[in-house]
Amino acid sequence: MNSPSMFVCRCEEVTLTQLEEAYESGCHTSRQLKMKTRATMGACQGRVCRHLLETWTHSRNPDAPRDSELLSVRPPIRPITFGQLAKGEA
Amino acid sequence: MERINDHPILGKKTQRDSVNFSFNGKPMAGYRGEPIAAALLAAGIRTLRKHEESGNSRGIYCAIGHCMECRLQVQGKGIVRSCLTPLEEGMQISEGLQLPNEITGRKRP
Amino acid sequence: MSRQSQNSDLMIVGAGPAGLSAAIVASGNGLKVTVIDEFLEPGGRMLGQFHEEHGRWWVGKRIAEQLIETCGKQGVSIRCGLSVYGLLKSDGLWEVSTSEGRLSAPRVLLATGAAEVPVPADGWTLPGVMSIGAAQVMSNVHYVKPGNRGLIIGMNVLGMAIARELSVSGVSLAGIVLPPAGTFAGSSALPKECLRLLMGLSHLAPSPVLRLGGRVAGALGMAGLVSKFFPRRGIKLWDIPLMLRTAAIRINGTDRVESVTLADVNGAGEILPGSEREVPVDFVALAGGLYPLAELAAVAGCPFLYTPELGGHLPFHSERMQTPVEGLFVAGNITGVESALVAMAQGRLAGASISHEAGAYGVDGERHVADAVEEVHRVRSSALIQFHPDIPEVRKKIYQLWQATYQAGG
Repeated sequence: MNSPSMFVCRCEEVTLTQLEEAYESGCHTSRQLKMKTRATMGACQGRVCRHLLETWTHSRNPDAPRDSELLSVRPPIRPITFGQLAKGEA
Repeated sequence: MERINDHPILGKKTQRDSVNFSFNGKPMAGYRGEPIAAALLAAGIRTLRKHEESGNSRGIYCAIGHCMECRLQVQGKGIVRSCLTPLEEGMQISEGLQLPNEITGRKRP
Repeated sequence: MSRQSQNSDLMIVGAGPAGLSAAIVASGNGLKVTVIDEFLEPGGRMLGQFHEEHGRWWVGKRIAEQLIETCGKQGVSIRCGLSVYGLLKSDGLWEVSTSEGRLSAPRVLLATGAAEVPVPADGWTLPGVMSIGAAQVMSNVHYVKPGNRGLIIGMNVLGMAIARELSVSGVSLAGIVLPPAGTFAGSSALPKECLRLLMGLSHLAPSPVLRLGGRVAGALGMAGLVSKFFPRRGIKLWDIPLMLRTAAIRINGTDRVESVTLADVNGAGEILPGSEREVPVDFVALAGGLYPLAELAAVAGCPFLYTPELGGHLPFHSERMQTPVEGLFVAGNITGVESALVAMAQGRLAGASISHEAGAYGVDGERHVADAVEEVHRVRSSALIQFHPDIPEVRKKIYQLWQATYQAGG
């Protein structure tokens, strides 16, 4: 078993306990859990933990939709400097 | 960690130049063009970064640019993913630092 | 009006088996092709892959070298160390935002491959814990051992294949163990499920699993019996102890991995009391499998399908590798997780499909595309590494859905 203090989201250091608390407070979809806990919102943009958050959500709420839009992807999808951003828009 | 000089299936690497660099002020050597993360691993360095808020040690996780765990500071380049950044002669590299709470702006539970 | 000049006829993101194969076909048909990749050198994950096949070594790096050489001869521009951070259609041209400025092309092929699914265990953020792909890249691409002695957590196609590579590369492994049971591991923590999977892998494993196969096959239908056949210390698969009745409980250390606590489990994955012990290791590789890395498709506005057999959310695409977004194509593991050989065939198909759409084949286009579709089927059905037994069936459903959605009455 994974202990309650285990990090699910490495970047934002969100623990299983934090997910539980968010769920108890009424966050029943991956998007709601993300908004409440910041899981999948860190530097990796969810590339590492998105699958974990979805799996956890579905174990709790099997009716939750399997919609990729719930954890939406937004550019920039890679880290860039303001200089690079400016160059790209020039 | 040990380097593989002659791989039993893949053979040897083509000739590479040795370069000097520093990590947290300590002089080290590696190969030009290899990723910084590989050079540091070969030098036995596991911790590449402290988590910005908690200060927990972090190291290589995915090694192909997806996870951002290996980001660190290179003088003149800023924060880079060490798994994708080629090592150059004289690079001054230092680990990613824990930031004061005034910067991260978030109270930890 | 756009001031943007058109850099290429086709921009390919990802210089792995799919991207390079597509580049060869498209450039062979006269298209000006640019391939972009974030990694330091082209080849994708093939660079670190090798396995034994009918007594000979299949070496991904050699295949990659051949593809790269052909690309060079045909004038394909391969640009490495470039990250793509955005993709936007403007005035009929794709604007590809990269870390070195903006590039543009009327057609884009996304061949970005896959990313790894983690196997979380207590302590998995400690330095020295890495995805199994990271261990593969460090050892087989950069020639640095991931550690002095390691443990692999997770039993699946990816984990077994890389375990073998690490062992051949001279990396010392304490064993391959089950992940901690629970929400995240699901059935992958059950000895019986893992054994079932290993039986399907028998082509990869020479003697031990094959020999075991006969003895265990009859027991597969009987829950809980598996552990009886499996010695506590595991069986040696190549040189690696495969510990089918042992799970990782937690990873220990202060600033780096020092050990892993293991425990024996019963057929239901429950820990047997008193069986806990610590194994000293300095690295841990987590093998959780792969999922399609499709962020750019999402950013470009492509709809997604949820297909667990192919790794999860993937961009909706046709049998010809088109997406519903005009001028946007996909090939390789972004369309679902399969082997490098399938990715190459898909790449050639995408190259044919794009050439046809660009009018490069003249009247013969349909035939070229149909041939390439057939070749993908052929390669898939003869592939030695099957990531999931139901792949042909679910693929068929995706393509039928495409027909129903985009070609009904048209």
